[in-house]
Amino acid sequence: MKKCIFGLLILSLLLSGCWDRRELNQLAITLAIGIDKVEDEYQVSAQVVVPSVVSTTSTGGGTMVTLYSARGETIYEAFRKMTKDSPRKIYPGHTRMLVVGEELAKEGIAESLDLVSRDSELRPDFYVVVAKENTAVNILNVTTPVENIPANKMFNSLKMSDNAWSGTKSIKLDELIEDLVSEGKEAVLTGVEIAGNQEQGSSKQNTESISPSARIRYDNLAVFKGDQLVGWLTEYETIGFSYITDSVQTSVKAISCPNEGKATIEVIQAKSELKGKIKNGKPVVNIKLNVEGDVGSVECKMNLNELKTIHSLEKIYEKEMQDNIKKTIATLQTNYKSDIFGFGEEIHRSNPKEWNTIKNNWEEQFSNLTTNVDVDLKILGTGTIKNSLLEKIKD
Amino acid sequence: MKWFFKKKNEKKSNNTNPPPRNQEVESEPKQVLKRSLQHNIQTLKEALGKSSDIIYREIRIGKEGTIKACLIYTDGLTDTTSLQDFVMETLMFDFKKEDLQTEITLEHDLISILKEVVITVADIKDITSFEEMMTSLLSGDTIFLIDGYDQGLIISSKHWVERGVSEPEAQTVIRGPREGFTENLRVNTAMIRRKFKDPNLWMESKVVGERTKTNIAVVYIKNIANDKIVKEVLLRLDQINIDGILESGNIEELIQDSQLSPFPTVYNTERPDVVAAALLEGRIAILVDGTPFVLIVPALFFQYFQSAEDYYERSIIGSIIRLLRHLAFAISLLAPALFIAITTFHQSMLPPALLISLAAQREGVPFPAFAEALIMEITFEILREAGIRMPRSIGSAMSIVGAFVIGTAAVEAGIISAMMVIVVSITAISSFVSPSYEMAIAVRMLRFVFMALAASFGLFGITIGLIALVLHLCSLRSFGVPYMSPMAPFNLSDQKDTLIVLPKWKMSTRPRLISQKNNVRQQDSASAKPSPPKK
Repeated sequence: MKKCIFGLLILSLLLSGCWDRRELNQLAITLAIGIDKVEDEYQVSAQVVVPSVVSTTSTGGGTMVTLYSARGETIYEAFRKMTKDSPRKIYPGHTRMLVVGEELAKEGIAESLDLVSRDSELRPDFYVVVAKENTAVNILNVTTPVENIPANKMFNSLKMSDNAWSGTKSIKLDELIEDLVSEGKEAVLTGVEIAGNQEQGSSKQNTESISPSARIRYDNLAVFKGDQLVGWLTEYETIGFSYITDSVQTSVKAISCPNEGKATIEVIQAKSELKGKIKNGKPVVNIKLNVEGDVGSVECKMNLNELKTIHSLEKIYEKEMQDNIKKTIATLQTNYKSDIFGFGEEIHRSNPKEWNTIKNNWEEQFSNLTTNVDVDLKILGTGTIKNSLLEKIKD
Repeated sequence: MKWFFKKKNEKKSNNTNPPPRNQEVESEPKQVLKRSLQHNIQTLKEALGKSSDIIYREIRIGKEGTIKACLIYTDGLTDTTSLQDFVMETLMFDFKKEDLQTEITLEHDLISILKEVVITVADIKDITSFEEMMTSLLSGDTIFLIDGYDQGLIISSKHWVERGVSEPEAQTVIRGPREGFTENLRVNTAMIRRKFKDPNLWMESKVVGERTKTNIAVVYIKNIANDKIVKEVLLRLDQINIDGILESGNIEELIQDSQLSPFPTVYNTERPDVVAAALLEGRIAILVDGTPFVLIVPALFFQYFQSAEDYYERSIIGSIIRLLRHLAFAISLLAPALFIAITTFHQSMLPPALLISLAAQREGVPFPAFAEALIMEITFEILREAGIRMPRSIGSAMSIVGAFVIGTAAVEAGIISAMMVIVVSITAISSFVSPSYEMAIAVRMLRFVFMALAASFGLFGITIGLIALVLHLCSLRSFGVPYMSPMAPFNLSDQKDTLIVLPKWKMSTRPRLISQKNNVRQQDSASAKPSPPKK
């Protein structure tokens, strides 16, 4: 008898099985989520893969992704309302991009981030961007060539441009939340915009011409104060920001030659050190930037065989980079009063006691902060040739 | 589970209560030969019935041809040519010569004269009992009975048509000996003996089976094998009480430790070199007449991953191939289960690109992943079984149909996803990597259990299954040796031949738990390492 009960107990385990089982063809695989604010309601849009178009065997046309959109008082509600439209349950586990509409960003993004960081299915490793002068739903409504899934295109091109150009900043959800909650550091997000004709962007024909009528492009950096968008940085200011926050992996910078014309320095490695201190009761931040690079291109007359020339190129770069960085800091100090560099954190780290007294009016302190910028470039090589072709042609 | 079956077994044995052995035989009065030839032949004929293959050749011997005699043999099992040349010719022709006649006196009776002087055959024996006579006659010997004597002669003349030594079919190697055991016990023992010129190689004979009287040889190296295990093997063989043994598999079932485990605890092989290597490690071989499969005990889990070739290749190659075999074992056990678990429960574990690609393949597939996997696995098992049982000539036709049905048509029809075909194929191929067929079958069976666990509990189910599997494996023993040794209990020095194979000069000791005495193979392993001559 005992054995029978024991056996039944074991078998009953099987009855409870499979409750959270989902076949792959019961999922609406969401790769990008857009959040907008429309008339006091949240509008959530999800870019969902259409598997039958992706599969190689199918002959059917259509776009690789489709967009579901729903409104609700909260984001979660809007998510669930989407099933009215979508035949499958939205599966956000593989989300790669979260696009926030500019309107919402101006109002504040903290409330919207609650669900995406709370839900167990969402991994916090997707990039967050702001739709510049646009809504998120419009951004997600553009088809893309090469990478046929727009979310993948957005993901990869943000990653690549951050890596090779540093004019954008790839920020994942967990990094964003860390910036939002930390004292003495404000958040930034890269902006995304539609270049070209937005109306024609959503059709498959958009990808069928060599030059699509609408493209998704990253530009500028959204500056936040608290959780609210306060303004945008230009591309060169973004690069300056990247150098200061030690997030440059590789980049290039065009500089002027000693005489006239232009040359390019390819940055291979950049390392920045921030040192905060209190001098005469006022916070001071020293920025030390060590850069290693090559001469990438020379578009002027210059004798690279001489060490002197190399040194003068280094000097020019250091000067121009210093200006760039100083200009970036000045913009933030005067225009936005937002400490996106984390200078406050540095002061906190070096002078915790004084920080307690100045942190309450840090906004003011920041705008009057003295910064010393020191740039040091080492040119390691000149590529595969020494002097430019120009030298020979003109002789 | 164990207690459940144990109790049942006990009940069974209480009910039937088998009679003690040999009781039946002893109760019959032992029949002995009489002086009358006619009577003896009559008794034989009564016992053997109308068997047409028993030949009674009545002859007359002696100077005047006055002594009646009879040669009895089994046609087909006896070498009639040598019977004619060496027995009948001497008896009927040479024996009539004068000089031999004179030696027959009272002290030297006819039987011993014939045995000692006349018959030119190597193996010859006296007999008096019918039972002994019957056994010899039916194993191919010739019986010689003379009128007026209550004893006869057994003249060895066994000879029958048999398969020659050929390459083993089940365990093939690229490099290594090509000979395999045959169905003849003597040929098999000779093949082992030929590899050892060592007096310590002992072969104990046994006869098992009331009716088949199958000859069995228990082979071991006296001063290496563990005496306790030898004793245990002999004891278990003695306890067998059955009418017939037709294959070593019958013996295996009767002596193995764990009856209900899917895992084999007795190793079998067709290869004399494998047996020889096992003997050198202190294992015991059981040879059974009538089958080329020789049993080896104790058999441990990791032994089933060792192929003879591992030791003939250079150790580095052998090690890599053995690691590959372990990987294949894991794949063939878990691949479909992992696929089911990940695609139905843990989609977030897949990289986005793979997830999209898999989802695209599954589009339109009407079955859940588990059913899909089950269909494919069962189809494959049917194809495999058909491939073995079918006449060879239609094999190619079936492989075309099989490949077409499994591979192309099912995917094109949208019933099965392409990825599932890939998973099932790699699983199937992996299961053939195992050098031992028994282990491959065990894994094939367990694969379905793991698939069911994965379908109901996902990775948690697989983990629970693996824990249960490891517990079970650790609880097994083969003739007293822990099945998972040298992993559990762990033994560092035996790792040299477990997951990897160290070179021969590093193999300085025998597996410790198997032989337990005389563990040293080569005294100084440092000097065994080859090095170039110093100048």
